[in-house]
Amino acid sequence: MTNESGGIVVEGVARSFGSVQAVRDIDFEAPPGEVTALIGPNGSGKTTLLLMMASLLAPDLGTIRVAGFDPVTQPREVRSRVGWMPDTLGAWESLTAHEVLTTIGALYRMSSADRTRRADELLAAVKLTDFGHQPARVLSRGQQQRLSLARALIHDPQVLLLDEPASGLDPGSRVDLRSLLRSLAAEGRTVVVSSHVLSELDEIADRAVFVSRGQSVKSQTLDEAGGQIRRYYIQAEPMTALAAALESHGVRFETRRDSRREEFLVQLGSTAEASWLLRTLVMADVVVTAFAPAGGALEETYMSLDTDRR
Amino acid sequence: MSTATEPSTPHPVRSSTSLPFRTAVRTVFTLEMKQRLRGRGWYWMLGTWFVVIGFIFVLALGVIGATDNEGGILFDLIVGFVLFFGLLVSPGLSANAINGDRAGGTLAILQVTLLTPGQLLAGKWLASWVGSLAFLVLSSPFIFWALTLGGVNGQEAVVSLLMLAVQLGVVCAIGVGVSALANRPLFSIVSTYMVVALLAVGTVIVFGLSTMLVMEERTMTSSYYNYPEASLDSMGVPDPGAELECVTQTYRSEVPNTQYITWILAANPFVVVADAVPYSVEDLPEQGTPNPYGPADGPYYTPGVMETISQGVRSAQAGPDTDQTCEEASQALRPLPQETPIWPLGLGIQLVLATGLLLAARRKLTMPAGRLARGTRIA
Repeated sequence: MTNESGGIVVEGVARSFGSVQAVRDIDFEAPPGEVTALIGPNGSGKTTLLLMMASLLAPDLGTIRVAGFDPVTQPREVRSRVGWMPDTLGAWESLTAHEVLTTIGALYRMSSADRTRRADELLAAVKLTDFGHQPARVLSRGQQQRLSLARALIHDPQVLLLDEPASGLDPGSRVDLRSLLRSLAAEGRTVVVSSHVLSELDEIADRAVFVSRGQSVKSQTLDEAGGQIRRYYIQAEPMTALAAALESHGVRFETRRDSRREEFLVQLGSTAEASWLLRTLVMADVVVTAFAPAGGALEETYMSLDTDRR
Repeated sequence: MSTATEPSTPHPVRSSTSLPFRTAVRTVFTLEMKQRLRGRGWYWMLGTWFVVIGFIFVLALGVIGATDNEGGILFDLIVGFVLFFGLLVSPGLSANAINGDRAGGTLAILQVTLLTPGQLLAGKWLASWVGSLAFLVLSSPFIFWALTLGGVNGQEAVVSLLMLAVQLGVVCAIGVGVSALANRPLFSIVSTYMVVALLAVGTVIVFGLSTMLVMEERTMTSSYYNYPEASLDSMGVPDPGAELECVTQTYRSEVPNTQYITWILAANPFVVVADAVPYSVEDLPEQGTPNPYGPADGPYYTPGVMETISQGVRSAQAGPDTDQTCEEASQALRPLPQETPIWPLGLGIQLVLATGLLLAARRKLTMPAGRLARGTRIA
């Protein structure tokens, strides 16, 4: 799976900053051609792990291979193949968006013609063409985020490491980001996205690695996540009829408390079970007004891990 | 899922992953200069500089207009002034080069490219040096003005300006080095000022205090011209036509052997510049007749501020004059010739300091980072 053409393999990596153990023991795999989500609460070590994969930070323990190279001993090989988008927005405020891209392109040894052409392409891809010749300081947060993404892509990297790429983006830009990442993965690139906006990742990611307190706690594909037990919420008119129907079929339910609408939550093992229940309820003349998964597949996993949410 | 635990390691392809030095430095330099030239602060600093130096020059022109060596004194004044203000400006331009980027979140973006730490430091240094040289260039109207007044030969002018530029470059290198080592821009700027103050003022203080350590009681001989006792009348007025004779006194006195400690002054930027400049002393006319009550009649030797520093260093190098002849007494204001140049030592010390700081900076900027300073984030 992992060869010279791409992919990331991280095994048993640990890293501490002084007395703070940011990453304790993380195993992580991101195959080429797929979008891998890195999911975890704030301070769980996502950014630290991405920094290590981007060859900016050396692990205390463990091994990392990015596109087949070791970021510690072969940082140049890794850097020429990796595009890294940090979670902080650093910008040279007086430079134009176009200049930012061509400057970074020059530092990846691209020829003048190449980087100009590539900068134009990328500005169009992230819909910043109109701002290409304006200083970066006039860009809004979301626009800077898009510029940062374009910057990470300037040298056409095989591996993309994106730290919270969707934060600050408006819904339209999120859709654009999603299709951009999908098309990059479709070209055979390795895409790693860290986020805690789980509904986003449901639609983008092929697989997910969950980290908590510096440890990788679970790794699954979205197909696996879809097949696991999920909670569905159901609304009906009136709710008493729904309650009676559920009780008669022996389906346990609870009233959802974190919503302003009155609705029931049920746990169902699979989509087949869900369609059976819906059909049964309709056949029993319950007026079902809503029947849907309570959260995304990844959110289910995230909540089921019951990690350090404080 | 793969079961491969030890992925194969392809052979590194050197040619495609290393950035040519010139491309890298040019890119970083351009990046820095674009930001500087598009900011407002830069032009305000240049404007203030021009006004201040112009004011000082015109003021000095009025005050010393009547002296023999007008052009030389004014030129020297401008050189000293540009050096003094350059030492104040250069740390400001250089000492936030790296940690300013770190605070702005742009350093890691550069580090993740093919740019090496050495290339980054070289580009940053070049940009701050060129920035400092702009102040020197802006002073050129006054420099040329002083030169048109005469009294300065071409070699003196060229070496003065060259050494000025070198000194600004050294201070910028120190500033860039410190900026990579210190975490906060404020701290690194203050630290760089401290280093510059140590060189410019600290060396003088240490030199002054050290004279106590090299005190020695020695037999001093001093001589002066006077009329012989016999030729004086009752009123103490010498006979017309009486010949002056040389009177010699001998006494013991505590004197500092400054020749042993002059090296302390070597790394002082003012000393490096002043000592390197070949001031012309040949064109001073021969002295007139000896005068018992003071130096011979003019024209006098009137050094400017930098030349005075140069003379001070030379007299410190020479040490105490234990045997002053009558000749010397009558020529109290004759320039001392240069025996051993001290500026190569000084420049050497400065270069060792700057290189050491830059090497430490390069080490610190080499990624992936092993240890990080407390409270810093890479990105």
